[in-house]
Amino acid sequence: MSTSTETSSIIAGAASSGRPRPGGSARDLLRALPWIAPALLLIFGVVVYPAGVMFFNSTRDISLSGLDKGSAGFDNFAEVFAFPYFWPIFFRTIVWVVVVVGVTVLLSLGLAQILDKAFPGRKIVRLAVIIPWAASVVMTTMVVFYGLEPYFGIINTFLVDVGLIDTPEGYGWTRNPGTAFAWSIVVAVFVSLPFTTYTILAGLATVPGDVVEAAKMDGAGPARTYFSVVLPQLRGALSVAVLINIINVFNSLPILKVMTGSIPGYDADTIMTMIFKYIQNQHKIDVASALSVVAFLIVIVIVAAYVKVVKPMQEV
Amino acid sequence: MKKSLRFSAAIALAATATLTLASCGFGGDAGGDDAASGKTTLDLLVPSYSDNTQGLWEDVIDGFEAANPDITVNLEVQSWDNLDSVITTKISGGEAPDIFNGGPFAGYVADDLLYPAADVVSPDTLSDFQDSFLANAEVDGTAYALPLIASARALFVNNALLEQAGVAEAPTTWDELLDAATKVSALGNGIAGYGMPLGSEEAQAEAAVWLWGGGGTFGDADAITIDDPSNLPGAEQIKKMIDAGATQADPGSTDRSPLMDIFIQGKIGMQVGLPPTVGQIAEGNPDLDYSIVPIPTKDGSAFTLGVMDQLMAFKNDEDKQDAITKFFDYYYSADVYVPWVQTEGFLPVTKSGAEALSGEEALKPFLDVLPGAQFYPSTNTQWAAADGAFKSLFGQIQTKPAQDVLTEIQAQVDAG
Repeated sequence: MSTSTETSSIIAGAASSGRPRPGGSARDLLRALPWIAPALLLIFGVVVYPAGVMFFNSTRDISLSGLDKGSAGFDNFAEVFAFPYFWPIFFRTIVWVVVVVGVTVLLSLGLAQILDKAFPGRKIVRLAVIIPWAASVVMTTMVVFYGLEPYFGIINTFLVDVGLIDTPEGYGWTRNPGTAFAWSIVVAVFVSLPFTTYTILAGLATVPGDVVEAAKMDGAGPARTYFSVVLPQLRGALSVAVLINIINVFNSLPILKVMTGSIPGYDADTIMTMIFKYIQNQHKIDVASALSVVAFLIVIVIVAAYVKVVKPMQEV
Repeated sequence: MKKSLRFSAAIALAATATLTLASCGFGGDAGGDDAASGKTTLDLLVPSYSDNTQGLWEDVIDGFEAANPDITVNLEVQSWDNLDSVITTKISGGEAPDIFNGGPFAGYVADDLLYPAADVVSPDTLSDFQDSFLANAEVDGTAYALPLIASARALFVNNALLEQAGVAEAPTTWDELLDAATKVSALGNGIAGYGMPLGSEEAQAEAAVWLWGGGGTFGDADAITIDDPSNLPGAEQIKKMIDAGATQADPGSTDRSPLMDIFIQGKIGMQVGLPPTVGQIAEGNPDLDYSIVPIPTKDGSAFTLGVMDQLMAFKNDEDKQDAITKFFDYYYSADVYVPWVQTEGFLPVTKSGAEALSGEEALKPFLDVLPGAQFYPSTNTQWAAADGAFKSLFGQIQTKPAQDVLTEIQAQVDAG
């Protein structure tokens, strides 16, 4: 580094904050550019640009056949909020995220605990837990959907055979908003389990054995050991699992699309399926974009609130 | 240091690759004229009617390209589910296909995207279309789309079930239908009297069958009228059928295709079907004892819902007009068109085609009802919105008052 740079950076730093900051000048940034440019390009290409197009479309008036007819200001947003079913859909989306993520995490905590113990055939059981992850979500959902189908679904047939349902063609699980939504939650939990379980399992592996042993020596029972010693150490793993699940579940379309797709009205819709209906049924790309922007903001708010309250980045 | 260098290089490579791939998607070659070879390329976007569709179009294209070596045709086949989003994406990306096979087209006319029909077919071909079909493709007196296929609906009746329930004759009026369907449903064992698909797949069709059968209408080229007193009797009759238990369970969210499969299995007394249903029964359950009769209406008068799909040509490049004309003239010649429409199991829209197929036994019940056919108001720019509103809302009639459902659909159409 030449002397002149040194002084100029000191002067610049002194001018702004009264003391030299380490490596904060524009010139340093310029020098770093060749190294961070590829990453910046990548972020711009796959994150910023599509998001920008989405924001842009949300303020345009786009015709049914897809032509841009000029600016529409915030009319599309007004239409989104004026839609009489918007708030029910909004609250259903929150229920969807909270229930799916909550149940998934609770079940995963148990599953991970079991898989952490050494028992014969553990490898095979661990493998079995991964399978829902390996299969496509649409495929898994389809299997459940057809299983629930009246007349020929095997789940329905089973329930009829054991006498729980008395109509010979079975019950229309996927034909009623309430039951279809409930079954969608079951499927969503099922497909979210592998990732969550393995994240927690990885967390369990980092809990030192001697700490657990020390707790035992001090006379702590299994429950006390778990809640006071093991669980606090899982905080990092749990935070990651919850955060990623929130984003993933909020944005999940295929499960609800398959399970509730033929149901009329908006009694089983979340924001994601509503965006899909705007595009597919009503051809309103502009309104769909506006709703996407709203969804994007909701996710940011949820994640920000979560980070603020739980402080997942803070060390234990 | 060396490690991070390699890492950066990898990221740079990945970024370049991503951006390059992405730019292919954005720009791309619209398949325009290849000046060097003097060849014209036509992009053809069609939906899949059956497993045969792709092969049928490929045969047409092979024959056409052999006769016109200076024209190449690119075929793209999409499912009906995806077709709308694919065409919308292509249009907004400035890559509309040259020839498109679809349903509602009035929106494209409003955006001035289509050639008038007379500009892309020879006068001979144009005069060969059945006049009523061509009239149904007119916006302000000019036809913008070419009829491709027609289908009419008729009532498929499971003779064995009706006999078992003690119904002597197939119903012709709503009262008879309600009576017959209730009796068949009473057989129990999961058997339904009337199969009523009001789910999102094709709610507008079943709605039309009932509302129009009671003297209603969806409107015309000037106005969409769903919330109209004339539509109420049909809507009330649907509720009466559901409340009487004359239909399968949960009609509001049952889709048509899976329900038709159950009819084919012999568990539904009566259901409205299409010409291709005949082929499905022959393949799935040839032993089914069924007959095809006209759709029962309020007063027993003849009525059927006609659906017509169209071919349309997008104005992309002035010098493609000739090539498009050649393609249409080739396609609609009786030798090419008749086998095509016959394999798909639909009804022909050309006079020469109707003549050639007049002896077909399977099509006869449909050709008989065709003169009374009524069509969707597809030349109204709002029809696409009405179609979508029916799909997402009409099934609620199962639980909501009929009038409320009609009002809600009208409101969504008017909001456009």
